[in-house]
Amino acid sequence: MTDTAVHPHAARPDGTKPPGRQGRGVTQGAGSGSPLLRLFGRRLLMTIPLLLAISVLVFVLLEMMPGDPARNQAGMDASEEQVEAVRQRMGLDRPAPERYFGWLFGLFRGDLGQSSVSGQPVADMIADRAPVTLELVVLAFVVSLGIAIPVALMAARKPGGLFDRATMVVAMTMLAVPNFVLAMLLVLVFAITLQMLPAIGFVPLEDGLVPNLRSVAMPVLALAVPLAAFYTRFLRGDLVEQMNSADYVDTARSKGVRPGLVLWLHAFRNSSFGLLTIVGLNIGTLVGGTVIIEQIFAMPGMGMMMLEGAMSQDVAVVQMCVFIFAAVAVLANLVVDLMYAVLDPRIRYGSH
Amino acid sequence: MNTIPRRKGPRRGLLGTLALAASLSLVLAGCGGGEPNAEGQATEAAATVGEPQTGGDLTVLLDAGFAGGWSTGLDPATSNTVGANMPQNSAIFGGLFTLEADENGENAEIVPNQAESYEFSEDGLTLTVKLREGITFSDGSPLNADAVVWNWIRALSSGSTGTPQLDLDLTREMPELDQQFLDDLYAALPEDVDQAVIEQRLGAVQAVDDLTVEIHFSVANGAFVNAMPSTSLNFVGSPTAYQELGADQYSQAPVAAGPFTVDANRLSERLELTRNEDYFRDGLPYLDELSFQSVAGDQVLYQTLQAGQGDAIEGLSSVTLIEQAQENPNLTTTLGAPTSPYVIQLNTRKAPFDDKKAREAIYYATDFEAINEGLFGGQGDMSQSFTASGGLFHQQEVEGYRTYDPEKARELVEEIGGLTVELGTTDIVTARQVTTALQTQWQDAGIDVTIDSKPLGDVITKFTSGEWESMLQTAGAWEPAAGIGVAVRFGSTSPFSGTPLPEGAETATQALEENLNTELDEVLTNAASTVDQEERGDLYKQAAKMISDEAYGPFGMAFSPAQVVRKGVHGPGLTTPIPALVVNSGVLYDRVWVEQ
Repeated sequence: MTDTAVHPHAARPDGTKPPGRQGRGVTQGAGSGSPLLRLFGRRLLMTIPLLLAISVLVFVLLEMMPGDPARNQAGMDASEEQVEAVRQRMGLDRPAPERYFGWLFGLFRGDLGQSSVSGQPVADMIADRAPVTLELVVLAFVVSLGIAIPVALMAARKPGGLFDRATMVVAMTMLAVPNFVLAMLLVLVFAITLQMLPAIGFVPLEDGLVPNLRSVAMPVLALAVPLAAFYTRFLRGDLVEQMNSADYVDTARSKGVRPGLVLWLHAFRNSSFGLLTIVGLNIGTLVGGTVIIEQIFAMPGMGMMMLEGAMSQDVAVVQMCVFIFAAVAVLANLVVDLMYAVLDPRIRYGSH
Repeated sequence: MNTIPRRKGPRRGLLGTLALAASLSLVLAGCGGGEPNAEGQATEAAATVGEPQTGGDLTVLLDAGFAGGWSTGLDPATSNTVGANMPQNSAIFGGLFTLEADENGENAEIVPNQAESYEFSEDGLTLTVKLREGITFSDGSPLNADAVVWNWIRALSSGSTGTPQLDLDLTREMPELDQQFLDDLYAALPEDVDQAVIEQRLGAVQAVDDLTVEIHFSVANGAFVNAMPSTSLNFVGSPTAYQELGADQYSQAPVAAGPFTVDANRLSERLELTRNEDYFRDGLPYLDELSFQSVAGDQVLYQTLQAGQGDAIEGLSSVTLIEQAQENPNLTTTLGAPTSPYVIQLNTRKAPFDDKKAREAIYYATDFEAINEGLFGGQGDMSQSFTASGGLFHQQEVEGYRTYDPEKARELVEEIGGLTVELGTTDIVTARQVTTALQTQWQDAGIDVTIDSKPLGDVITKFTSGEWESMLQTAGAWEPAAGIGVAVRFGSTSPFSGTPLPEGAETATQALEENLNTELDEVLTNAASTVDQEERGDLYKQAAKMISDEAYGPFGMAFSPAQVVRKGVHGPGLTTPIPALVVNSGVLYDRVWVEQ
């Protein structure tokens, strides 16, 4: 959000031209002047040093992990000779800087390296697993927003009313429950008691939409429910504030617009800035959540791959997973910034 | 791909759900314990079991942190998890030898399986293994002596941590071998292999005729066959298939002569197997299909079984969940025959345990019986030495062993002017619970205790650094000389031992280089290298007495993980106990069957 310097509620950013049809920013912005493209390019360039810094950090952290990964792999009763053979196979007999730069230069050549444990190409492993995590993350967002937006709108219609209070209690409870506990409770109810959904495993989309959705239903819910609770609380609070204090709300009311329409057409549009910011910031949390959730539901995704990689100090695997997760988080925030322009034509990106 | 079929299972009412939810929260909070269960080992042996039936399929759930992890593949010569992957390896390779026991888990013995017999020479330096006639791998090629030599040389030369350390007689000349055999062998070995070493090994491991293999040792190895079922040497695969498939594909789907063949393999996730129609035992295996599903942790393992997505759990270790399973009428729970007791290793090489009185105080202050009752519901098996009742050379009692006597402990602590101790352990729930209980007991005896609970990697580092005072670990295996056996914990040159160094040695490395030994080392070495089992028993008795007399570490209860299966599943190692060779029991999957 650095370039935009837009407060979520900045309905009237200083120095911008008044809104008008000609100013419907995105198309114009993406045109010959291309401030939007410039922003996009600059952001993409900024991600490179960021990702490099992350890769160094991850490497250093993995190096600092206690214990000898070769000995861990080999086991307690392995001889020194066997441990050395494992060390060699894992490439750990080379100095750390050589290993890091070897990995980095390989990356520039498009070679993501090989798992030091299984020997599989990391690119193949990611290609195999990314769709699982992607599906979980996308569905979790859709479900969480699908729950949060209508619930928050209904709660904000009558602040302090029964529905508002009830949703607050539920949302606070859901916020207090860690997602792995929620996951186990879901399994208890839907897999063990009601026998409606499978407790573990992933069915790919090509094996049928319904089996696929059944297999991801509980992991998605475990990821989405705490998020939905958070979004609901945030959006509801913001909507109430808008309805109570914003001038444009008074104007709309004085024109005789029905309260429901004011809430939906005016207040919600403004509040969506704040929600977007939160959603963007939450990408990292959500992707991080998949690490545990995939483990619990035996979903063969990138979260599980990263955890296994971290446990065995498989540098190439962990580096690529973190790299991808970080890139997704950066890009998601960029998309959020671009969405501001779509939602608010008054905003001029890159304008001075 | 990953479709996991659901089975019809019992539905649990609301009360049951609430009860489960309550127990779930207990487990999540890390509070084990619960009411002692008097049933002890649930034994199917006592129940009436009908005749085995052919057909059906079985999904076995394995803990992702142990048997359910096979990220280095399933080629025994290159896998780093051969021992942990006993379930998969037994199903695919079968094994030259198996460990089998009576229905109650007693009288366990090594039984030739694909081997027909074995015999040690009188001096114990040569082992002759005869193979059964007519066994073929599932690709049709023969399981003969050449195939065994090819597999063993690969296992010894490819860096697998599943290969035991052997003292081979490397002075023997390599016999004349077919050039094609040698070419095929070298093609399957690492590129940087030393040809001279391979030739020495080919001198030590020889095919005498089509069905006979000889292995020559420089020092007699009485534990070799006993230890074999959990090592890579037991699992013989098809050399022809390796040549056709190449290293990577062979590691994914090895071709062997076991009861099942590989259908699909997603490393450390799911392994799907189909019945081997050419299996050498008539009428076996009973099952048409067998799958292994990797699942994260005991709680999820148990929930998955309850949800009907699995038929069996191999190695459930949470005491709370085992108790729940024992009370569940739809499940059969079988505790394995315990082999490895807890031991508190005391580091005699530094203070405070360089003082024997401090070590004696620990013996007197420790009440493992109470811990067994409180934490394990009395189900653990008490031991005063390094093997429990399921293991070879078990001794229920060791003469002169110092039992719980807090008064004596207090006196000793006072005599040495107080005792402050750091107690280390591996960071797993049960071990943490035991250390907490020990802390309370020791504090009662006036000993100040701090607990240092760390992941396995850190524990290994701490051991190798020598900077530790006391460690709660488990000792032994079915065969005390195998795996993390008694010499690993009490041999003076082991990096995981705190017993005194031999006279004249400053470090374990120096002792190794100069071949210096303690008296205990010599007894343990002789026990491992003697072929006469009776003599071995006497030597291990001596070793247990020496450990006890010198107060190197008190032993506690041995607790074996449970096999939990849904009703209607039967089989040796699943519903009748078989002692764990190292950590897990070797289930005989060719004889596992399900009621149709």
